Amino acid sequence: MKRYFANTHFKRLMSSVAAMAILELMTGPPGSALDPTAGFTGSFGEASSFFGLFRTQRWVVFLFIAFIMFGLWTSWLTWGAQVKTATTKAMSVPRSVSHKQPVRWGVTLVLLVVALLLPHLITDPFWQAAMVEQIAVYVLLALGLNVVVGFAGLLDLGFVAFYAIGAYTTAWVTGALPTAAPFGIHFNNFYAIPIAIGLAMGAGIILGAPTLRLRGDYLAIVTLGFGEIITIFANNLYGITGGSQGTKTIPHFSLHVGPVKYLWGLTPVPYYYLTIVFVILFLIGFRLLEHSRVGRAWTAIREDEVAAESVGINPLKYKVMAFAIGASTAGFAGVVTASQSNTIFPSSFTLQFSINILVLVIFGGMGSITGVVLGAIVIQTGSMYLLHTPPAGYQPQDLYIYLGALLVVMMIFRPAGLVPSRRRHREIGLAEAGEGHMDEVLTGDTP
Amino acid sequence: MSDTIFDVDRITLRFGGVVSLNDVTLHQNRGEILAVIGPNGAGKTSLFNSLTGVYQPQEGTITFVGSDGKPMNVIGKKAHRVSTAGVARTFQASRMFSALTAFENIKIGAESHRGIGVLGAMLRGPATRRDEHTSDERTVQLLDFVGLRAKANVISSSLSYGDRRRLEIARGLATSPQVLLLDEPAAGTNPSEKLELTALIRKVRDEMGVSILLIEHDMKLVMSLAERLYVLNFGSVIAEGTPEEIRANDKVIEAYLGSTASETGDRS
Amino acid sequence: MWEGPGFSPALPFLITLSTDRSRGAQLGAFGHYLTGHFATLRLEFWALFVGGLANGVLYGMVAVGYTLVYGVLRLINFAHSEIFMSGGFAGYFVMKAMVGNSVPSGFASVSFIVIGILVGAFVGAFMATLVERVAYRPLRRRHAPALAYLISAIGASYFLYNMAGKEFGRVPISMPQPYINHPIFHIFNAPVQMYYVIILIAGAVMFLTLDRIVAKTKLGRSIRAVAQDAETASLMGVNIDRTIVLTFIVGGALGGAAGFLFGMGTGVSNTMGFVPALKAFTAAVLGGIGNLRGAMIGGFLLGVVESLSVVFVQAAYMDVVAFGILVAVLLFRPTGILGERLGRAA
Repeated sequence: MKRYFANTHFKRLMSSVAAMAILELMTGPPGSALDPTAGFTGSFGEASSFFGLFRTQRWVVFLFIAFIMFGLWTSWLTWGAQVKTATTKAMSVPRSVSHKQPVRWGVTLVLLVVALLLPHLITDPFWQAAMVEQIAVYVLLALGLNVVVGFAGLLDLGFVAFYAIGAYTTAWVTGALPTAAPFGIHFNNFYAIPIAIGLAMGAGIILGAPTLRLRGDYLAIVTLGFGEIITIFANNLYGITGGSQGTKTIPHFSLHVGPVKYLWGLTPVPYYYLTIVFVILFLIGFRLLEHSRVGRAWTAIREDEVAAESVGINPLKYKVMAFAIGASTAGFAGVVTASQSNTIFPSSFTLQFSINILVLVIFGGMGSITGVVLGAIVIQTGSMYLLHTPPAGYQPQDLYIYLGALLVVMMIFRPAGLVPSRRRHREIGLAEAGEGHMDEVLTGDTP
Repeated sequence: MSDTIFDVDRITLRFGGVVSLNDVTLHQNRGEILAVIGPNGAGKTSLFNSLTGVYQPQEGTITFVGSDGKPMNVIGKKAHRVSTAGVARTFQASRMFSALTAFENIKIGAESHRGIGVLGAMLRGPATRRDEHTSDERTVQLLDFVGLRAKANVISSSLSYGDRRRLEIARGLATSPQVLLLDEPAAGTNPSEKLELTALIRKVRDEMGVSILLIEHDMKLVMSLAERLYVLNFGSVIAEGTPEEIRANDKVIEAYLGSTASETGDRS
Repeated sequence: MWEGPGFSPALPFLITLSTDRSRGAQLGAFGHYLTGHFATLRLEFWALFVGGLANGVLYGMVAVGYTLVYGVLRLINFAHSEIFMSGGFAGYFVMKAMVGNSVPSGFASVSFIVIGILVGAFVGAFMATLVERVAYRPLRRRHAPALAYLISAIGASYFLYNMAGKEFGRVPISMPQPYINHPIFHIFNAPVQMYYVIILIAGAVMFLTLDRIVAKTKLGRSIRAVAQDAETASLMGVNIDRTIVLTFIVGGALGGAAGFLFGMGTGVSNTMGFVPALKAFTAAVLGGIGNLRGAMIGGFLLGVVESLSVVFVQAAYMDVVAFGILVAVLLFRPTGILGERLGRAA
């Protein structure tokens, strides 16, 4: 009997069944405080169609999927290596083409054209708004967090704090807070950009400089706390932030240069173009940064801090800088969101938000700019799709369950992300082979 | 005494109750190849870590005289400050940035002393491009110097032991040091690599004018390379002198050569 | 995440005392403000002290979980807040099943509470093992870097927290009371309620047991050995994998029990773990992370200081005080009061 349980096939089968049971719960109906078992019984017992063939209960469907998963898993273990080599061989020709400089430029150009034409291809108002508020802004945020998590290898769980600082700064500068605007003048939103970037960066430095000396996980928890603290202040400083009632109306971006007058905000489309311009600027900036002295120093610190110090790199300085760059990007995104949505409430600056951005970075691939952009687009489009056309039993909050599970699954199966950064990928490979001097964790002695 | 590069005066380093270095005094002249030998656990690597700002001895002073002739107290300085002042080092188990190429490894050393310049990097202005160009040239120069030009684009973790040692030396040299500290450079290398390494170290001193301070287990290499030696045992200096003097020193023979005669060869 | 209840269990009188916002206006006359508040402090000191100490015991119990895992893995277990929550929910369901319409007393009360604690501890330990299995072990096998563990633990925490919201609703539920919450005795005219007495007794029993376990038993020795030097411990025949799981179990049990005790006073919800866990972590750092006794002492200290701070700041800012303590400790004494290292604890 005991041998039977220790059988790897049996274990694998049980893992598949367990994974499917969890998936059943995730996709099943919700329970409530009054009827706490409803979610569980419903998830397993609710009537369901067996792939359109006949009527049955959910557990039958999922058990079937579990068996298929087990089959796939087993065959992957037997033939996976062969499949991998075959695909690498098959991909070698397209890959060698895609690595060529003109091809890359061509692809970039095509993507750019698509991005510019997108609001004219998709005219559904829901999606037009989503493209700005939920996708373009999130790409920007993901790019910023990528500098912190991907380039410098620091875990920032309070990204929302800097975003909030940016948003509230916009409200302040444009005179939408109970407290007086600077110099009593209601500035144009464009003036909010440098101020918000500066303040968010300052907050990042003040928070980062003391904590970045310590181990990485302390930073995670301190930023986590900081995110909460900012919300508490926004909620309770009625006289300054307007408290939970939110701010007064924040004006839209407007341009007034000589004869040219333009006001953003009538439809999402102008904001889309504005945000896209910013995204492209940040994209280019961060790409250059990655391949600059600064990017190499970050890599060095991430890989071996002692060795990096021995060649004269000041780790603290570079970490604080990464942290500040991330913070200021979030602050900048806050300006865009605040201007576009006209009012801001403390309740929109939650931990959920920080984790959401973290998922975009992890899913796309830490340190890989292409990956992070792609990850942000895929995940945000997916979540918007679920919001727009929810499948049966889906509640908007369920999204966070999926995001949490996604983090764990990515870390287990594909830690370098969807489109791995080449450096990161190598690092993880080396760490797993026992080389390099990254932070190591006690690994135990089971095979 | 104007030709001093390192002046270590009676340093003591403790960890909790364990005394790692006890009242160590050491002196190195500019341009000298100096070696520190001693059995395992004698405190050699602790000494190196103290000299480079990784450890902070509780007592004594370490004076380093940089190219400007101004003495600097190393104790209390962070490792990166010490490196910037002109002290480069290698590690016992070589510590490369293993996911980067040989070229990138050296380049990081070559550019680390410059300011940060995030905005410059993000805008990639002419000054940044000029700096990049200078670093690239210096990197190529050093790759040539240590004979790794052909392996410039190889990921450093897939280099052989001997090549990694060379790469580490080049990375250290890229920081334009006054003195290069080598922590067991020959460990894990084969006899022919050892010979090449000896030549390289001598070349570093002769052609670049960089003083060398090395820790080594391989007595043959030390005796042929070093001009003067210090012998450490149990955290204390027990002898000092030229290779000939050390060879004739009874205390050394008793404490070091005698006790570990069976393993004086290759440790690996 | 802030929609959950604040962490000041059963201190309604404190909340009314401190939400009076007129005090903000007095800030101008700072001297007057301070004297006024010290007068309040003198009047309320013992009441605040007892309430704070009870909170502190709960913080300490949760902090033990952080400290144990940190001791062996050198990592913060970000999913610990959800282990706390799971204990709270488990206790809630047991109480719902057992406690009838009338509030029990006497022997029934005691046995219900003991059962609640045991069930909370069991479920907490179970969830902790589950988290270790799913979010930690696969990464340990792969020698993943520390960042990966943090991310996967955060993912697990986030998953559990939102899953609980889906299954049990997202509003706080109050727990059926298994005891009558009347003042038991007075310290300097400050009434000490039943709830506090339960927490203090339960906490004392658990802390003493734990302390003995770690100091005297084979399990404790293996935990200390791994915390001090995993490699040597492994060579000496300590099963590292088993020890890691055991630390998760012990920490999870204490966290789950604390979740139940907390839920008795404040109610349970899917968000209940977040703030207490953040404070428990502060307590662990305050006492010296990795140090068991430090975690307990840090818990008491944080609970009391935070409770007394309510005299000077609005209740809404109590969490800010705790956070300020965390940052201050990290800045000025990152090794905490008693210093790091689990091995030195006993």
